[in-house]
Amino acid sequence: MMDCCGGIEEHDDDCADVKVKEGIDAKTVEAAKRLESENYSAGFITDIEMDMAPIGLSEDTVRFISAKKNEPEWLLEWRLEAYRRWLTMEEPSWARVHYPKIDFQAYYYYAAPKAGAKYKSIDDVPREILEAYEKLGIPLREAEVLLGVEGAADTAAAAREKPRVAVDAVFDSVSVATTFREELKKAGVIFMSISEAVHEHPELVKKYLGSVVPTSDNFYATLNSAVFSDGSFVYIPKGVRCPMELSTYFRMNAENTGQFERTLIIADEAAYVSYLEGCTAPMRDENQLHAAVVELVALDDAEIKYSTVQNWWPGDEEGKGGIFNFVTKRGDCRGARSKISWTQVETGSAVTWKYPSCILRGDDSVGEFYSIAVTNGRQQADTGTKMIHLGKRTRSRIISKGISAGKSDNTYRGLVSIHKKAEGARNFTQCDSLLIGDRCGAHTVPYIENRRADAQLEHEATTTKLSEDQLFYVRQRGIAEEQAVALLVNGFVREVLQELPMEFAVEAQKLLEVSLEGSVG
Amino acid sequence: MSIALKDLIRNPSVAELELVARYAALKADPRRERLFEAFALTGLPHRRNEEWRWSDFKAAVGALEASATPPAQDPLASDGVATLKLTPQGYVAPVSLPPGLRLLPKDDVQAMSGAEDAPLGALAAALSGAKNAPATLMAEVTGETPVRLHMVFSGPGAINAARIVFLVRPGAELQVSESHLGGAAFSTALIEYTLQPGARLDRVVYQRGGKGEAQAITALIHQEADAETKQTVLAFGARVSRIETRLVHHETGSRATLNAAYLAGDGYHVDFTSHVRHGARACVTRQVTKGAVVDGGRGVFQGKFHVPRNTGQQTDASMQHNALLLEDGAEVFAKPELEILADDVQCAHGNTSGQLDAAQLFYLRQRGIPLVQARALLTEAFIAQALEEAGVHDEALRAQAQAWLSEV
Amino acid sequence: MLKIENLSATVGEGEAAKTIINGLSLKVPAGEVHAIMGPNGAGKSTLSYVLTGREGYEVTGGGATLDGADILAMDPEERAAAGLFLSFQYPVEIPGVPVMTFVRTAMNAQRKKRGEPEISAPDYLKKSRDVAKMLNLDADMLKRPVNVGFSGGEKKRLEIYQMMMLEPRFMVLDETDSGLDIDALRTVADGVNALRAPERGMLVITHYQRLLDHIKPDKVHVLAKGRIIKTGGPELAHRLEKEGYDGVLAEAV
Ligand SMILES: Nc1ncnc2c1ncn2[C@@H]1O[C@H](COP(=O)(O)OP(=O)(O)O)[C@@H](O)[C@H]1O
Ligand SMILES: [Mg+2]
Repeated sequence: MMDCCGGIEEHDDDCADVKVKEGIDAKTVEAAKRLESENYSAGFITDIEMDMAPIGLSEDTVRFISAKKNEPEWLLEWRLEAYRRWLTMEEPSWARVHYPKIDFQAYYYYAAPKAGAKYKSIDDVPREILEAYEKLGIPLREAEVLLGVEGAADTAAAAREKPRVAVDAVFDSVSVATTFREELKKAGVIFMSISEAVHEHPELVKKYLGSVVPTSDNFYATLNSAVFSDGSFVYIPKGVRCPMELSTYFRMNAENTGQFERTLIIADEAAYVSYLEGCTAPMRDENQLHAAVVELVALDDAEIKYSTVQNWWPGDEEGKGGIFNFVTKRGDCRGARSKISWTQVETGSAVTWKYPSCILRGDDSVGEFYSIAVTNGRQQADTGTKMIHLGKRTRSRIISKGISAGKSDNTYRGLVSIHKKAEGARNFTQCDSLLIGDRCGAHTVPYIENRRADAQLEHEATTTKLSEDQLFYVRQRGIAEEQAVALLVNGFVREVLQELPMEFAVEAQKLLEVSLEGSVG
Repeated sequence: MSIALKDLIRNPSVAELELVARYAALKADPRRERLFEAFALTGLPHRRNEEWRWSDFKAAVGALEASATPPAQDPLASDGVATLKLTPQGYVAPVSLPPGLRLLPKDDVQAMSGAEDAPLGALAAALSGAKNAPATLMAEVTGETPVRLHMVFSGPGAINAARIVFLVRPGAELQVSESHLGGAAFSTALIEYTLQPGARLDRVVYQRGGKGEAQAITALIHQEADAETKQTVLAFGARVSRIETRLVHHETGSRATLNAAYLAGDGYHVDFTSHVRHGARACVTRQVTKGAVVDGGRGVFQGKFHVPRNTGQQTDASMQHNALLLEDGAEVFAKPELEILADDVQCAHGNTSGQLDAAQLFYLRQRGIPLVQARALLTEAFIAQALEEAGVHDEALRAQAQAWLSEV
Repeated sequence: MLKIENLSATVGEGEAAKTIINGLSLKVPAGEVHAIMGPNGAGKSTLSYVLTGREGYEVTGGGATLDGADILAMDPEERAAAGLFLSFQYPVEIPGVPVMTFVRTAMNAQRKKRGEPEISAPDYLKKSRDVAKMLNLDADMLKRPVNVGFSGGEKKRLEIYQMMMLEPRFMVLDETDSGLDIDALRTVADGVNALRAPERGMLVITHYQRLLDHIKPDKVHVLAKGRIIKTGGPELAHRLEKEGYDGVLAEAV
């Protein structure tokens, strides 16, 4: 979606490149071809038969998942150990988010599409969502991806020939297609679902899985370790600059599913990769649970750029429905001069709990966090980053822009920690919050720990409302209020948008407009 | 009763048991009980309490025996000014009170607002009233001319728990200086100021404790319409020390300036915590905190602005904390926090920590000032910025800061 | 007096280091005023920082002497005591340090280094008053912290105030004219001219002819791409004012 040049005419035969999973391949390809030829008004939404684990969570669920995936014994043990530990843990309560107690037994922990999908009418797609995506100007096939139309991901991915983005689409719990595999293979890049990687590259998975986010890390990460279903695996070998941007879609389709992807990206010495993650979910009344873990490892001189645009269903205006998003994302700058950069645009989810972090272990390593978080309606977001400076001359930069509207709450929570050996470490943090309307909240909770005299730490934060003067100025020039707000908000978040890959940035900008609709007046 | 209370504190330490015993020895009083309960919810705060994550009193307060160090010298003492002494043995009122000041020793314990949020303040209130001390010492300030008062909190002894409650009447002005000089193993003081409409408070605090002591100073400031507070603190810390100011703007037009400087030597810990609630329209808060820390010292700054929904509109609040780590081995931890639920506000905070500014240092050297001298000049100026509003005490505080800096 | 020979210098640390000054040579004899003009980003300010010893600017070749003394080997304060003064393009704000304290400290530090006695408080005050009067500086301004809350023009005047107080032997003025209105420009120029003397030298970095109308240079140099590409008399400045740098730059290639 967010990474496409927008045109559909470049489409060619990349379907051949699409490796599809057993069981759904025929239908997927067929659906893809059909969608191609039909116009939007006659489009389809997919209601797919799902293969599900029994509801609830127990050791048996864990065994079920592991067995479904034919996992080796060590991985089952790894999961079980995490599960047992999880039983002893308490759900954290320190974040500034409020939600009804989650009944972890009320979710399905595994859901995979079965062969033989059947289609229903587009009339089933809620009007608001359709309108929203129309406004986004997201191309036909991209919109279908967002709407969860089966097969759309594959064709959309195929249409991406121009921007050259390889896609790994995660449909609920399983990865359904990975495009451009052959070409990546030539470059030596491994890009596949993590369940495939377990079989095809066990030595890499075993070495790195859980090495950044240990199974014991936190309540949600531990849960993820026990029941993770699928996710992407990326390995960029020494000295390789990944020839294209890699991308994942996460779609939540099934009702009451928990989605627990696990992503593992390793950039070996002097390697480079830019990874894009897009997330969407259809509108449903119940709350869906998402507890992902993303681990990044950058060895000497390697660089990983990880961009996320998250526009999961935030729930309706009354706060009904929407995604609970509890995500652990962490990058380990393990090597000297390595660099990890997180960029996120968060506009969705009912509840967000997310702190993409960097452990700056290697000397001269660099961590960056660029964030835009928009909350509207009754959304609650508690997000930020942690920069842990361990190595010498490590540098970090945090730019966070929070926008609150409606009756939402938006919290920046961040940690900058300079350890005793981090000679000459540097951090710069800028956290700005914008309030639109008087029913919302903006909160800033930074923790700044310095243990080095030669470190230089700077933190600035502001909270203001949209400037009346600016608004008037823009409107005096004939721009309608909503558009004026959008214009000013875009100015406010500019610094972060600039960090996004170009196609992503354009989409993000439109998404901001949509997210803030109805916030003025 | 004391058994139930003892059970309230999880895994009580030796010191906590002693505190329970001291409480149990005091005259029973339902308000006192409520205050002690508020303390017992956390007990001596420790690093697992979010608000105390960098200042662990439970670990630092050992057996409550008389301190080995005598109280520090008092740089704010002045002959012409009425002085109130608060010691482990009770209080000593000035021989003659200035016009406009009335002291009212009360036999019963007065309630304290927000006791749960300030466990060591609650403890001070729960334990005051031993020996010759009143359960609550109250003071009323009236009149047109400013009232000057100096207060000394010092040992010797094991515990110095003191509480004093000021009521500043409409339009009246209190110029108060407080010297917290230590000399007790554990000192905890609760000072409450209520400023009625148009009242003014000038508060200067000097804190210096011994290397083996624990010190907590809790101030609760309530401001009504158009009231104004100017506060300046200079602190040198103790083994563990916390200087906490909890201020509420209750009515429109209330203003506060909260400045502080800390200098933490080897083995010293200084914690500045403030919580300002903008509970009314168009109130203003300005806060500047500067610190310098050497090897083995720790500085903590936790500042929070809370702007509630509706009532906090037109808040204008800014917070600055800047710290210099003069040597490796120094630690500075900061948490400048904003909690904003109203939209028509101007709130900002800034936080820096590290070395002196390289551009400034170069500018001075370009004019021919040698490096060592340039550093000293800049460091002194850096600290002095937080002392500028200390009025008559500006010089005395500066001299203390200078003396400390010239030794490091 | 000031002799720069084949000087090369980089800005930035480690891999980010860029060569900005690239084989620059220049001589300013005692008693002369030389102007340096050049397009934005040419390296003019960089040259001033390299001469005065700012951190982050590394000399990679060549040298510079003031009256035969190797200034590049000295600490910044030693260079200042040797008589080198820089009027900064962007003067730094120093909160908490009043101008008076600052300048007196600097003056006495320099005197001490040169083995001269400290200035007495009354002498200092008198001198300060005279200088301030000449520069139209408000006495109140001298009580305020250095440059804090000063307007652009006030900052530049304060630079000249410091220069006149410290009476350096060699002055580098980096765009001292920018941000000044016409009256302030004249005042500043008067101050600078008052310091012109047979034993003093001066480098005036500027973009505009108008400053050179007031401070008549003996020579005008054009700095581009890190070196002096053309040297001429005052008429060169007039030509640049009219034609811009393009012509001169083209000739140099
Ligand atoms: N600290 C620095 N780090 C990197 N580049 C710098 C730094 N300072 C100056 N430069 C670069 O050096 C060049 C010369 O700058 P400067 O000397 O300020 O030019 P001028 O004063 O002639 O306008 C410019 O390209 C500028 O961007
Ligand atoms: Mg310049």
